[in-house]
This record gives sequence, structure tokens and C-alpha cells, in this order.
Amino acid sequence: MTRWLLRRTAQAVLTFLVVTVLLFVLMRLTPGDPLQRLEGDRQMSAEESAALRRRFGIDQPMGAQFRTFVTGALAGDLGVSIEHYPTPVTTLLVSRLPASLLLGGTVLLLTFGIGIVLGVFQAVHRGRRADRWLTRASLTLYAMPSFWLGLVLAWYFGIRLQLLPVAQMHDPLLSPDATWLVRAGDVLRHLILPALTLTAVSIAAVMHYQRTALLEVLRLDFVLAARARGLPERQVLWRHAWRNALFPVVGLFGLWLPILVSGSVFVEQVFNWPGLGHLAADAVGARDYPVILGTAMLVSAQVLLGGVLADLAYYALDPRVRRA
Amino acid sequence: MRHVSRSTLLALCLLATPAGVPLATAQANTRQETVVIVGAQEAATPIPTLLGNTAANMAVTDLMFLPLARIGRNNITSGDKDFIPQLARSWTRRDSLTLVFELDSRARWQDGVPVTARDAALALNLARDPAVDPQRALLLQLVAEATALDDQHLLVRFKEAYDEQLYDAVYHVSPLPAHLVDTVPRGALGKSAFASAPIGNGPYRWVRRVPGQQLELTANDQFFLGRPGPRKVLILTVSDAEARMNLLLSGSADVLQSSAMIATVSRLAADKRIRIYPMPSFSVGYVSFNQRDPADLGRPHPILSDLAVRTAITMALDRRGMVQATFGPWASVPQGPIPQMSWVRDPGYKPAPPDPAGARALLRSRGWVDTDGDGVLDKDGKPLALGLNYPSPSAQAGVLALQIQEQLRQVGIRIEVNRLEGSVWGERRNAGAFDLDFGQATMDPSPAGMVQTWSCAGRGGSNKAYYCDPKVDSLLALALRAPRKEALALYRETVRTIAADAPAVFLFTTTTPMAVSDRIKNVELVPVAPWSAVWRWSPGPVP
Repeated sequence: MTRWLLRRTAQAVLTFLVVTVLLFVLMRLTPGDPLQRLEGDRQMSAEESAALRRRFGIDQPMGAQFRTFVTGALAGDLGVSIEHYPTPVTTLLVSRLPASLLLGGTVLLLTFGIGIVLGVFQAVHRGRRADRWLTRASLTLYAMPSFWLGLVLAWYFGIRLQLLPVAQMHDPLLSPDATWLVRAGDVLRHLILPALTLTAVSIAAVMHYQRTALLEVLRLDFVLAARARGLPERQVLWRHAWRNALFPVVGLFGLWLPILVSGSVFVEQVFNWPGLGHLAADAVGARDYPVILGTAMLVSAQVLLGGVLADLAYYALDPRVRRA
Repeated sequence: MRHVSRSTLLALCLLATPAGVPLATAQANTRQETVVIVGAQEAATPIPTLLGNTAANMAVTDLMFLPLARIGRNNITSGDKDFIPQLARSWTRRDSLTLVFELDSRARWQDGVPVTARDAALALNLARDPAVDPQRALLLQLVAEATALDDQHLLVRFKEAYDEQLYDAVYHVSPLPAHLVDTVPRGALGKSAFASAPIGNGPYRWVRRVPGQQLELTANDQFFLGRPGPRKVLILTVSDAEARMNLLLSGSADVLQSSAMIATVSRLAADKRIRIYPMPSFSVGYVSFNQRDPADLGRPHPILSDLAVRTAITMALDRRGMVQATFGPWASVPQGPIPQMSWVRDPGYKPAPPDPAGARALLRSRGWVDTDGDGVLDKDGKPLALGLNYPSPSAQAGVLALQIQEQLRQVGIRIEVNRLEGSVWGERRNAGAFDLDFGQATMDPSPAGMVQTWSCAGRGGSNKAYYCDPKVDSLLALALRAPRKEALALYRETVRTIAADAPAVFLFTTTTPMAVSDRIKNVELVPVAPWSAVWRWSPGPVP
């Protein structure tokens, strides 16, 4: 187990390093000028532009820039944002991480919590009207672009009904004296629409995976044997069949884990949710190299960690994997 | 289970009610007294000498810092009379090269220190330093020195006698607190404590900035011109256009500087809780013709260096129709690089109607004919085909680019529309890698600002299309030094000359629709400094 874990971790670290170098090089080869956004709609002189390039070190050759980046990164310094000068990239990442974790965590919880239950329900009621309607409804939501659904929900619940906030993570005017309960309630109200949007467009995959996996398992001999032993159907379903039908969903969960950090670019933009996805999208548009690199490194670390965690979960859940 | 749920609910209600009711009242009061402005770009710092010259930065400057004087309602930048005193109570002229300002003795920095002439001299001298602010140094090149005579009197001496001396002394930079800035090394200003939490002398003081999200200012009750009405100003940075509009429509925000596109304005105007205030702007939109070959900037452009081709393109376009369809009443066609607010604008100017037949004839006279019948004119075996670059974030550029493409197709010119990501568009523009380029610029209030983009000296800098006409340069130089009446005639001749040279198709000059919540009364918007009068607004109850 230890040797396997060490090998898997070493692979992940190596992949992370390769990804980081590739990101650094590709980003600088991509066309685009990071100073364009600073220029705004008032044109900048050549001297001003040169002074700003010197300030951000982007007047240097790529090799020198890479050396500066590596030296800084080893000391935990990812540089200073161009767009949000003079804020350090690490400060930006740390300030945006909680919003991403909250939205991503809520979406994962809702998508997998509700998706698994509905998938099991569909498998048990295979071919019946409820199964057919749930498939149609989930696929319809799946086919909707998330930003479009977000805009529709924002318009209906936020503007037409004036029930829920249409943007931001919290009320910027909330009094500093507000209790934690009031603060939590405020964040919850702001969370509803983006979380609902992301859950609605994602849930179909979990339902489909769970339904298919459970239908496969329900056909197997050990389920028949359990029924033959006279076990109650609920026990057969949840204790025997469902546990064995969980592995594909665990794999899917591992793949989806990065959403915790990356969030959803489109939904975060539509709801102005201050997460890392939003930050990354703005940074890409502005060619804010240090921020792009910082967010990309964080997401790639999360992808690799998700893979390792999914493998560990397989290892823990499936004795066949342990034996292999 | 049911019992537990009810108990939990009850407990939550009990917890929430005693704390919640007074808090909700306080919350409502705070919201009522706050003006929430939604912007697309982050206001990084209100200190104009430290970062790029973005409109967002300048907006915060308007709220926190007072200039010595502001340009008056007619936007006349020439002479000494049409300015409104701000920090300076008055100004006198010692001779044709020297102005003396008398500062208002009531003015204080927000840390209580009096504003003195030393502060004003420091800011002007900082801005004149090319190492600190190259752009402003260029604009202030005719300022010889700024000196504090005593606490209340500032002397500004100029290198030459010209009519815009006062404008130069007061418009480009506001005084900075010498007791905080003077000790900071010039190269370290951007990262100084003052830059992160600046102290101004205006109606609002800095509270905090959450990078990429919001900037919070609070009323400065010691402001010597009066007590600010809105107690707080919150500027939200929202990059998505739909999210910005949703915030206003849902009542979470109060002010949005809207796009002038008719579709956007109509959507906002349909909401009875929102009022649209027209604010004439200094913005001009145009399509530049690159006069250099994008493949080799040392050579003239193979097609666009010919004045007849550029003129024919302008003639073929129905500028008035395009502007009407895209902006409705929120824009007009400019004569040249002169915004509708400029004091030298010719009010009698009417754009020539489109003349596709004339354009075809002109092109034919230069040898452009459709020899192979494919609908595209050609000459020496080469088709009359050009690329038009525009930045993808600009919805109006996208709409206009397609109209231009279609109208030019009808006279036999093939336009390849290139929708580019903002930073890529900017990079290509700066490198001169384009045929036609869609640009929109906020011009300086002074018509002398034309020198940046439309003079030979501006080539390689703001003059991205390498346009150069020595006659324009000499007209601009004469206008700068001429008294107002002569200057007006000279500037108008400059604009006519530029229009005849056709370095660009001048498409539109907009009126900015400011969408403001109906609960805000006494709304006053100053075109040269839109947010400078926010302190006089009266916010009412939140509906």
C-alpha cells in the first residue's frame, strides 16, 4: 500500500511539474498583450508602456522570466498581479478560494447527493413513467448552456420576483455587527442561484452513471442469492447492490473534484461569484500571466489530487483492487 | 422527526429575531444612504500618476481628490475664465508666462493636515517627471516649473505663452499630500502605503479595496465645500455585462454607466425605477486605415496608402444609417477626431450621404475593376480585400463591423472581419499588424490632444495607423498658441484637413447613457469628471 501510494504521489508530482512548465511556456507563446487592459480607453504612450513592461518584468526574455518565476515559487511567492497591481497572486488566490470551495462543495454535495438517489430510484423503476420523465428532464437540463440557464434564473427569481440576489457572494453593505447567523443566511441566499444552476446542468451525468451501474449489478447472481435468502428488498438494494454499483460514481467524483477549486467560469461570471473560475477568466482576458499561472497550478494540483483520492477510494472500497 | 424540525426552526427564529430586527433596520439605513455604482473595470488606485490611465481610476480620483479648478460647463479649455474654482479660490496672471493660484485656506487633507501650495507644486512636478508618468510629462511639456510661494500661493511658470496654460495647470493632475508622498522614493510610489490606502482632500475617503470585487469609500464630513449627501459610495467591479445590468435591474445597485447601444438602453429604460441621464462624452469611435504595410512597416500599405481608396471606402459607407441603427439617438457622426463635447466642434456639420456609385467610380479611376466577375474589384491580379480587426468585448464594434463588411461588399471590396480577444487585438494594433482597425478613444477635453493620435509626432505611440500630414502638424502648433477665436478657426480647419486626408472612417461620437435608480435625486453628472458631483446627490428610501 505504502509503495503504491508513494509511486502514485511521485507520478502526480512529476505531472504537476511538467504541466507547470508547459503552462508557463504556452501562455507566453499565446498572442495577446497584458498591458492592453491597463491602457483602458485612454491611449498609452510608448514610454508609459515600456515603463509598465519593466515593472512587471515582461520586457525580459522568456528564460529570465522563468528563472524569476521558479525562484519566487520555491519561496512561496507567485509574483504580483498585473491587473490587480500591487496585490500578490497568493493573496488573490487565498481570498478567492473560500468562495470557490463553498460553491464547488455545495454543487458536488447536491449533484452527487440528489443524483445518486434519483439514479437509484430510476434503476429500481426502470422503464416506468417516472424513469422516463426523470431521464427527459435531466437530459433537457444537461443540454442547456449553464450561462443561459443562470441568466434565466437570475431574471426570474432576482428581477421579476425579487426573491433572490442576482449577483455577488454577499451583501457588500452588510453591517460589520451582523451575527454569524445573519451572515450565513446572507451567503446562503446568494449561493442559491449559482448552485442551483450548476447542479441542474450537471446532475444528469451522476443520475445516468448511477442508474446504469445499478442496473448492471442488479442482474448479478449475488443479488439473486440475497433475494433468495429472503432479505428485505431495501436491504438487498442499499446494502448489497448499491455498494457495488458505487464504483463508477466514485471515479466520476474524483474527476469532478477539481470543481471545488476551479468552479465554473461561466456561472461565476453571470452571478459575479468571486471564485477562482471568475478570477482565472478575467486573468486570461487580461493576459495577467502571474494570476493565470497561479490559478492553473492550483487547478492542476486539484485534478491530480482528485485522481489520487479516487484511486485511494477504489482501494478502500473494492477488495479486488487491493488484491491486484 | 417532525417534532425535531419544528424545534430547530423555532430555535433559529428565536436566535434570529432579537438580533435580526435592529440589524435589518440598520442595514436598510446603510443601504439607503449608500450609492452603489457598478463598473466593468477595477479602479486599482485613485492616484493617477502611479498606474495606467484607466477611466475607472480616474472615476475614483473624482470622488477623493479635488483639482485646483475644473473645466466649466461649456468645456472650453482655452483662456482663464471658463473654469470653476475648486481647491484654488482664485488665480491671477503675473505675465503671459506665469499664473499664480490662491488656495482655499479651508481645504484639509483627510488626516487633518491643511492643503498647501506645496502639495499642488509636488503633484505637478511629479507628473512632469517622465520617469514617474511619461504620458503626463508629454502633456505638461510646456510647464517650466511649479513652486510654492507660501502655504496659500502656488506659482506655475510656462515655457511659452499659449491659451491653454490654465487648463494644463489644473486638468492633468490634482494636488497630492506632500507630507505623505514626498518621502516615498519615486520608483516605489506604486507599492507605497499611500497607494494602498490613499488620503485625499475630496468629499470621500478611502475605506478599503477588495481586489477585483469592490472599492468602498465613506463620506468625509470635514470636506470644506459641504457635507456629502450619500454617506457611502461602493464601486462594484463586475466584468460580465449581463450581471452588471441585472444588479441595477434587481435594485442591488444604483448607477450603471451603460453602453450607448440602443438595445441596451431600451432594456434599461423599460424599467420604471430607472432613469437614464444623457451625459455627452469625449469618446470617438473610428476605423483606422493602416498607412503602412503590416508585413513590413517600412513600406507604404499596398492598398490603403492610396488616398483615393481610403476616400472611396468612406464614401461607400452609410455612417449615419449605421449609427442610427446601432445607437439610435445616443450617438452622432463626427466630422473628424472631435467628440461631441469639444468646444471646437462645428455644430453645423452634416455627414455626406453615402455614395456607392461615386465610390465605385473613384476606385475605377485608380484601376480597381472586377475583371473576373467574382464581385470583388481587382488590380494587377490582386483583389481589393482587407482585414478589419475589432476587440471581442466590444459589442458595438461587432455590430458595426458586420454592417461595414456588407456595405463595402456592395461596391466590390471584400472585408474579412477579425473578431479578436481584447489583448490580442491590442497587441496587433500596437504592432501595426492590421489593415483596418476598429478603435474607440476617450479624447482629452482640449482639442490640442489631437496631437497624440493624429500628428506625425504621434507615430509609433498613439498614432497606430502611421498617419502623417505636416499641414495638420503646423495647424495644431498654430492653434495651440493662438488666442481663442483664432484657435477655434484653426482647430476646425485641422479637423477638416484630417477628414479630407481620410486616415480613418470617423463613425460615431456617443452620449453616455447613465442609468440611475429613481431613488437618487438631485443627480448631477459632470462630463469631464462624471463622479465629482456625487456628494451633492440625495439618495432616497430603497423601494
